[in-house]
Amino acid sequence: MDYEAVIGLEIHVQLNSATKMFCDCPNRPGDEPNQNTCPICLWMPGAIPKFSHEVLEKATLAALALNCEIQKENAFDQKVYYYPDLPKGFQLSQSHLPLAKNGWLDIRDDRGRPKRIRIHQVHMEEDVAKLVHETEGRTPISLVDFNRAGTPLVEIVSEPDIRSPHEAMEYIRSLRTQILYVDSAECSMERGTMRVDANISLRPRGSDELNTKVEVKNMNSIHNVGNAIAYEITRQANRLDTGETIVLHTRLWNPDKHITEAMRGKFEGPCVPDPSVPRIAITDTWLDAIRSRLPEMPGKKAERFFTDYGLSRDEAVLMSSERGLSEYFEAVVNRGIPPRLAVHWIATQLLPALKECNEDIGDTPVTPERFSQLLSLLEGDEINANSAKEVLAQLFDGTETPDTIVDKGGFRQVSDSLEIAGMVDRIISENRPAVDDFHNGKTQAMGFLVGRAMQASQGKANPRLIKEILTEKLENT
Amino acid sequence: MNPDHYSYIDDSPPEAGGDGTLRRTSCSIQPNMSVRGWPTEAGSKALEGFCALEDATVIERLRTAGATIRGSTRMSELGFGLAGDTSARVISGGDVDIALMTDTMGEARVAASEAGAFGFKPSYGLVSRSGLIGLVPSMECHGMVARNPEDIGTVMAVISGCDDHDLSMPEYRVPDFSHSDGSEQSPVVLGAIDQCADTLEPDAMAAFNGTLSKLQEAGMTVRTCSLPDFTLFGTVHNIIGSVEASSSAGKYDGVRYGHRARSAKNWNEMYLKTRAESFGVLLKTYLFQGAYFQFQDYGAFEDACRIRARLVRHTEALFSEADFLVLPTKPPHLTGVDTSTTDEVYDLFSLSLAANVTGLPAIHIPGSVLQDGAGMGLQLIGPRLGDARLLSAAATISHMTGGGK
Repeated sequence: MDYEAVIGLEIHVQLNSATKMFCDCPNRPGDEPNQNTCPICLWMPGAIPKFSHEVLEKATLAALALNCEIQKENAFDQKVYYYPDLPKGFQLSQSHLPLAKNGWLDIRDDRGRPKRIRIHQVHMEEDVAKLVHETEGRTPISLVDFNRAGTPLVEIVSEPDIRSPHEAMEYIRSLRTQILYVDSAECSMERGTMRVDANISLRPRGSDELNTKVEVKNMNSIHNVGNAIAYEITRQANRLDTGETIVLHTRLWNPDKHITEAMRGKFEGPCVPDPSVPRIAITDTWLDAIRSRLPEMPGKKAERFFTDYGLSRDEAVLMSSERGLSEYFEAVVNRGIPPRLAVHWIATQLLPALKECNEDIGDTPVTPERFSQLLSLLEGDEINANSAKEVLAQLFDGTETPDTIVDKGGFRQVSDSLEIAGMVDRIISENRPAVDDFHNGKTQAMGFLVGRAMQASQGKANPRLIKEILTEKLENT
Repeated sequence: MNPDHYSYIDDSPPEAGGDGTLRRTSCSIQPNMSVRGWPTEAGSKALEGFCALEDATVIERLRTAGATIRGSTRMSELGFGLAGDTSARVISGGDVDIALMTDTMGEARVAASEAGAFGFKPSYGLVSRSGLIGLVPSMECHGMVARNPEDIGTVMAVISGCDDHDLSMPEYRVPDFSHSDGSEQSPVVLGAIDQCADTLEPDAMAAFNGTLSKLQEAGMTVRTCSLPDFTLFGTVHNIIGSVEASSSAGKYDGVRYGHRARSAKNWNEMYLKTRAESFGVLLKTYLFQGAYFQFQDYGAFEDACRIRARLVRHTEALFSEADFLVLPTKPPHLTGVDTSTTDEVYDLFSLSLAANVTGLPAIHIPGSVLQDGAGMGLQLIGPRLGDARLLSAAATISHMTGGGK
């Protein structure tokens, strides 16, 4: 039978506030175990949670970035369950009065058509402690690390609008871009600061029923989310085809075997209003102040890059895909570099080089200033593209200006027509067979001759001039 | 000091006397209030051997003002029910000037009624709960038993007010407690709740009406006012209280402190055995009831929350007709020893818990007019943050009727 997948994602994002959600402990789960703890996040008797304003700001910015409506009033509930990573017996989360509702993200579907994925709600939640399982001699023991306990999360719950692994991955990428823009979180699936759970069910294509879903967890990359969903769709389709029923449960993605494995029945504990954390009223003044901190978001920015700088749609989207990148691009353009030249060099040279040496565009020694100086040398025909690539490599190593590097390395381009003309004459006389080929209509011989000339100039000659002069001389011979 | 009344007596030498307002005031607390290094077992095996890590805000403020804290009085398990009224006994025995005790249903008022003392419950949110090992966060507060309202006022002036550690306290102006001795008198209108009669036997009601007549003879205006849902206070408290208690007690798993079962096959069994061994029957019943509402009948809990909001609204509206509400402190003939089941606990506190459900300040006033044989006591409930005026009125009434001390 032909099935359609109905997919909703629940994404937990760890906010990058300085402190935890209900105490002043540093929000650094990765430190030495149990260093960042206090009576509140250890949930000792007598401690009262103390809600952090910074967490509220970061969470609100994230919700605004996802086009959500911030609710006038939000409040914390106790999600009651018993597990060693949660020794107080309930998790503070928001169920009845979430921070924000009714958001959306625009993505492209499998055929490249625009599609809107609705977001049901965004709510705040504290993270729980981390369990470490070890053995002491031959006795298995479980250790509890409270560094993560009480660190702030937002959970972003989508509507079941997603229909394919591709759409799911697009949605996650877009969500990540938006949240990175407002600097509320790191959003790294690999490092666990973004965790994605997928709810998947199938229905006959064309119907609009909602069937029993299966929850899949434990994907540690966007790619794995796609793989896990694809696997789960096939698994469920096979089951349905053989007349079996799908039961509500949770499965784990096994990245080694590339399959999902049943974990447990899905447990939904009760959720009761927490009597200790006060309700949070959002005033218009406060919300306006937070909204004024929103940067220009990627969609708008891409539109502006398209209209103002004459970039192609794809280039505009690429240059606005990360806030740091977009700011770098604009800094270069503002120094008088033609936008498309900037895009070309950032995309094909700078970004791969940054990736190779594991540097961030925000703090590379190749500052927008030095990068623009390099591009103006190129633009002014002072150096050619080959030299520019070498100068760029050297920009990563030191603080010298591109000018100095060009001088020291003798990269300055030969743009002296007479000098080039002499060289071209020599090349023509030394490569008669190629010249004959050219005259016999084999145009690729031109490329060969330009190459020889460039070689003769040790890569320093202006290739455009060589071509011009060569063309002229060949036509006259 | 009778050691039977205390779970801990502090025999460290007193600090050199400062000049704080409480330098001559001595207090007792309960072992659910955190004092760094003191055993803080809250009357429960679940906290066996637990010592507080930090001082409660209230302790910090008391000590800064020069008060001596002499020890912790024995308490019922996590404060549910009454434990032989030890707080009242240390007051009537003259051990201390103020006995602090957690008031979740009216404990301080009911205990005081059995000791001929004043029992006070402040407005919810006026005194920080930070460091209080509580059970029902939305109902409980620091209650006090004392021989006179002035002592309560002096202590309240020190411990009231915002605290960075307890954000559930709204912003407000701390009441001026300088007239808690009744020195500033103004005409007082008391509102007697009509529906009280529904919960009392006719002879008890007659006795209470006798009390009201005496107040009128002494110059008070007494007016009847109506609170139609008065009998629902108990139900609402019972449902919400048990649900909150079930959550609050969830943290007692015996892993980091307190009693822990000796052996178990796995962690789940360890939790179950530990908790089964830690809690007494009375508390277990209450926690089980709370878990029932959480897991099985959440709708009833939601109803209770809705009704609570309505009760708060209706009760607060009554203060447009009267300065204070007046009602008996407890039903006749019941005492703290009658609390071996949750029903009995709720019966004993049926007249005092309205102040906890609404978060309003309330006081039990001892006095000769009340020696009617029924042992009901006289209770005043004040408007929100009207704590100082309530203490002042209590002092006035007690002067008029010749009670107190």
